[in-house]
Amino acid sequence: MSEQLTLYLHKLSPYSLKIELALIEANAPYKSYQVDFQNKPEWFAGKVNPAGKVPAVTYGGPNVEPDDPSPLSAKIAESNVILEFVADLYPDSGLLPKDLVLRAKVRFFIDATTKHIEGPCYAFFQGKEPYDNILKGIEFIQELLEEGRDFAVGDHYTIADACISPQFEALKIITKTDIGKFPVGMGYKLGEELKGPKFAKFMKYAQRMLDRPSLKQTYDEEFAITFFKTRFTERVQ
Amino acid sequence: MSEQLTLYLHEISPFSQKVELALVEANAPPYKVYRVDLRNKSEWFTSKVNPVGQVPVVTYGGPNTEPDNPSPLSAKIAESNVILEFLADLYPDSGLLPKNPILRAKVRFFINAITKHIEGTYFSFLRGNESLDNALNAIEFIQELLEEGSDFAIGDHYTIADACISPHLARLKIVTETDIGNFPVGMGYKLGEELKGPKFAKFKKYAQGMLDRPSLKQIYDEEIVIEYFKSIFTDRVQ
Repeated sequence: MSEQLTLYLHKLSPYSLKIELALIEANAPYKSYQVDFQNKPEWFAGKVNPAGKVPAVTYGGPNVEPDDPSPLSAKIAESNVILEFVADLYPDSGLLPKDLVLRAKVRFFIDATTKHIEGPCYAFFQGKEPYDNILKGIEFIQELLEEGRDFAVGDHYTIADACISPQFEALKIITKTDIGKFPVGMGYKLGEELKGPKFAKFMKYAQRMLDRPSLKQTYDEEFAITFFKTRFTERVQ
Repeated sequence: MSEQLTLYLHEISPFSQKVELALVEANAPPYKVYRVDLRNKSEWFTSKVNPVGQVPVVTYGGPNTEPDNPSPLSAKIAESNVILEFLADLYPDSGLLPKNPILRAKVRFFINAITKHIEGTYFSFLRGNESLDNALNAIEFIQELLEEGSDFAIGDHYTIADACISPHLARLKIVTETDIGNFPVGMGYKLGEELKGPKFAKFKKYAQGMLDRPSLKQIYDEEIVIEYFKSIFTDRVQ
């Protein structure tokens, strides 16, 4: 009988989404609970994650309702830490390869995603930086992708794919709708750049990830667009 | 017959030293070490070992060549924390990572906290871009994670969490004893005074334990790092 796993998440959090994708791709059973950040339950920080953020996971302990977390369960936070934890729990799922060198490649890919994609995308979206660093980051990631390979590393879906896929959704929304704090039109312009031959390998990989049932099943793009439209009304000049 | 392992490093780099410490503490089978001249990088280093040109990097497998003649057949692994995980995979019974998934998650959370709070906030303090208070808060966050009643960060064995933080602890000692840094004059000494207080007793004890370990004494030369710090921290903020 396996231990209970509860994922505290938010549907708009790319970091939460990483974990959902990994769990679905691994066929792992889990409970989920959406944390309402407009009205955060006061038990969340005290009983699940002192940092008050999602994603956070409880593991083990009695099988309680998500809104009544037990002190007996282990509490794990930080998306990339949770990805490794899920890979440890399901060692035959392929989430991490068995080969040591391939495992290092997965981790290098995740490190590169954090440094070269997540950082620049967030900064651009918040209007703090132009999109140049995103393009540089994409070039860096592209060098790691192999021609004719469906996945980031090896021949199976890994936590590397789960880690980067939410950023493809973010980029898709930004380039399709121009929503964000960046100057008007820069989202469309980024989209035009990404259509060029220079980024073809990256875009093909991104589209394969966007087409996966795991992502379609868990991400509500329309809901995200509606939410971001209302939230991101201020633009930098 | 185990595969060849070559570590490209530099003794001033705390990131290189994380990897060296893990290798020594794991009693790893013999490996080669090559000191990269960071100011005068050989062309073969960037073209054959690490395109980013940084240390540490490890080559693994392939024919047993000299370090300055790396084979295209070896795997090349860069990024200190990626290499630490690789070593934990290579030496699964060394204790570098516990077997229990929850403890493994704690080790990784600790390493994540070092990246954010030490390599982030505390480094910014050294550069003169962050307040002493925030540097102390960063160290307090780390302290909260330390295992009670253990010599080690997580569990009861030396892990990659300890290897990850120890080079930074060694350099923290320099900062508090010499006041070298780009923060305003005296802030280094003040940091040292605060860390001697009861609030940081747990951290101080843990840090001293790490500094006393033979592995660190074996690979770390404080004088060289002091000279290096003097050369890079030349722009004090007021």
